[in-house]
Amino acid sequence: MALLFLCSLAGSCFAEDYDQLFRASNDLMAQGDLAGAVTLLNQVPAPVAGGDAGAFVSSRMQVARIHAAENDLDRATASCQEVLKLFPDNNEARNFVAALDALRKPRWHTILADILRFLPSLAKGTLMTLLLVLCTMLVSPLGGLLIALGRISTLRPVSGLCWFIIWFFRGTPLLLQLFFIYYGLPAFGITLPPLTAAVIGLGLNYSAYLGEIIRGAIQSIDHGQMEAAKAIGMSYGQAMRRIIIPQTYKRLMPPVGNEFIALIKDTALVSTIAMVELMRSADQLFNTYFNITALALAAVIYLVLTTIFTFIFEKIEYRAGIYEHR
Amino acid sequence: MNTVSQPLLRLENITKRFKELIAVNGVCLDVPLGEKLVIIGPSGSGKSTLLRSINLLEKIDEGSIQFEGREVGYVMRNGTRHLDHSQAISALRAEIGMVFQHFHLFPHMTVLGNVMEGPLTVQRKPAAEARAIAVDMLVKVGLPDKSDVFPATLSGGQKQRVAIARALAMRPKLMLFDEPTSALDPELVGEVFDAIHTLADEGMTMVIVTHHMGFARELADRVVFMESGNFLAQGTPAEVFGSGQDNERIRGFLNRLL
Repeated sequence: MALLFLCSLAGSCFAEDYDQLFRASNDLMAQGDLAGAVTLLNQVPAPVAGGDAGAFVSSRMQVARIHAAENDLDRATASCQEVLKLFPDNNEARNFVAALDALRKPRWHTILADILRFLPSLAKGTLMTLLLVLCTMLVSPLGGLLIALGRISTLRPVSGLCWFIIWFFRGTPLLLQLFFIYYGLPAFGITLPPLTAAVIGLGLNYSAYLGEIIRGAIQSIDHGQMEAAKAIGMSYGQAMRRIIIPQTYKRLMPPVGNEFIALIKDTALVSTIAMVELMRSADQLFNTYFNITALALAAVIYLVLTTIFTFIFEKIEYRAGIYEHR
Repeated sequence: MNTVSQPLLRLENITKRFKELIAVNGVCLDVPLGEKLVIIGPSGSGKSTLLRSINLLEKIDEGSIQFEGREVGYVMRNGTRHLDHSQAISALRAEIGMVFQHFHLFPHMTVLGNVMEGPLTVQRKPAAEARAIAVDMLVKVGLPDKSDVFPATLSGGQKQRVAIARALAMRPKLMLFDEPTSALDPELVGEVFDAIHTLADEGMTMVIVTHHMGFARELADRVVFMESGNFLAQGTPAEVFGSGQDNERIRGFLNRLL
C-alpha cells in the first residue's frame, strides 16, 4: 500500500495534460481496480510519438510497481524495458529491473551468499570452542579422577575436601562460577585472561561432575577384583591403576560422553566473559546483519560437533569393552 | 630356634568378630611345610574368614599370625592393634597364593595377561621373563592354548585353573583355596581338582576350604572340622571321616553330605 501511495504522490506533479489521467488511475487503484489503472496508465504515449517524456516514464514505472506488487515479475520487467528502450540510462528503471532479477533468484542463493559471508568468522569461533572443549576434556578427567579417589579415601580430611568441592561446583550455576573467576577474582588481586578463566571454570565444574561419575564406576567394580589384586601382592595404588580403573572405562563412557556433549554446548556460556567463541561469533553477526542465518549456521556447527564427538565416544566405548565381546 | 620343627604358618588364638557375631573364636593352628590341610564344616562356620585372615584380607581382632617364624600383619600402636604398613602386607601376600570361589580373574586382561600380572607388576620382572613364567604356569594347569583369549570366553573350570596359574606365577610358599569348586558345574569340578592334585604332588603347602568330602579325604594330610568359629575336631581323613568318628555333630554333617 505504501508503494501505491508513493506512486500517487509522484503522479501528481506532471504536466497538466496527464494530471487528469494520473488522478483517475489513482482513484482506480484506491478502488482496488489495478487492471483498470494499468490500462489507463499505458495510454500515456511514448515521447517519440509526441508525448511527455516525464509522464511516460512515470506511467510505465507506476505500471511496473503495480505488477511487482501483484508479484507479476515478468510484466513488471517488461514495463521497465519499455522505459529503457527509449532511455537506456534511466536509473530508476535499471534499479527496478535489478531488484526484480534479485527477486527472481531462488531463496537459497541469498542464503548461500550469507553462509559464505558468515562462515569465516564462525569458523574462527568454532576453533575457539574446540580449544575450550579439548582443554576441558583433558583437565576434567584428571581432576575427576583425583576427586573420585579422594572421595573414597579413608582419610577423613581428604574425602571431606573432595565432598566439599563436588558440593560447591555442582551446587552453583556454571555461569556464576565463570563470572566469579573472571570478574570476581580481580578483587582479590588475581586477574586471569579470558581463556585461562574459562578453562579453570569449565575444568573445575566438569571435574566435580566427572568425579562423581568416576567414583560410581570405581565402586561398581566387583569387590573381588580388589581382593584378587591384593592377593597377588599388589598395593592399593597398583590395584587401582592396573586392575580397577581400566575396568571402569567401558562403564564411564556413556555418562562421560553425556557430560562432554553438554560441555560442547556449555562453552557457549564463556561468551559472557569476553571470549569470542562460536556462540559469541554468531551473536555478533546476528546483531550486525539482523540475519538469523548466522544463528542457524551456529546451530548446525554445534550439531556437527556433538555428532562427531558422539561417534568418537561410541567407538571408544566399544573398544574399551572389547574384552566382554565373545 | 629349631627351623626344622618350625611350621611354615602358625596361627595363635585367632579371633574375628563381625559386630556381635564371633566368626572365628580363638583358633590355633600350625601348618608345617608341605602339609595339605583341608578345613570342612557347615556354611557360616568361619572357615572362609579364617582362611582370608591368613593373607590379611580380613583384619583379625585378636591373635597372631606367624609366617616362617616371623610375626606378620599387625603392629601395636598406642596399645591398639593396627594392620602393618601396606608394603609389608603386600610382601606377605606375594608369598601366599590365594584362589577364590568366584575366580576373580581380571576380565580386561587376556589369560596370559592375568597370569603375568603378578610377576610383571608386583615383582617387577621384565615382560619376557614374566611371560615365560606365565606360559609355564598355563602349561601346568593344562591351558597353554588359551593364552590369548579373554576370561569371558572360558568355562568355569578353565577360569579357576587360570586363577590357580595366576597365584602360582608368584611362586608362593603357601596356597590358600577358598571353596575353589563351589561355583562350578559338577562336570567341571574334576579338572580343577586335578590341577590341585598336581600341585600337591609337587609338595606345595596348602590350606583348602571345601565342601567336597571325597576330595578332602583323597588329598588331605589333615582335616579340620570347624563349626561356629571353633575347631570341633581335627585329624587324618581316616580319623575324621572314618567309622570311629564319635562326634554327633560331625557325623550328622557328613551324613547330610554323603
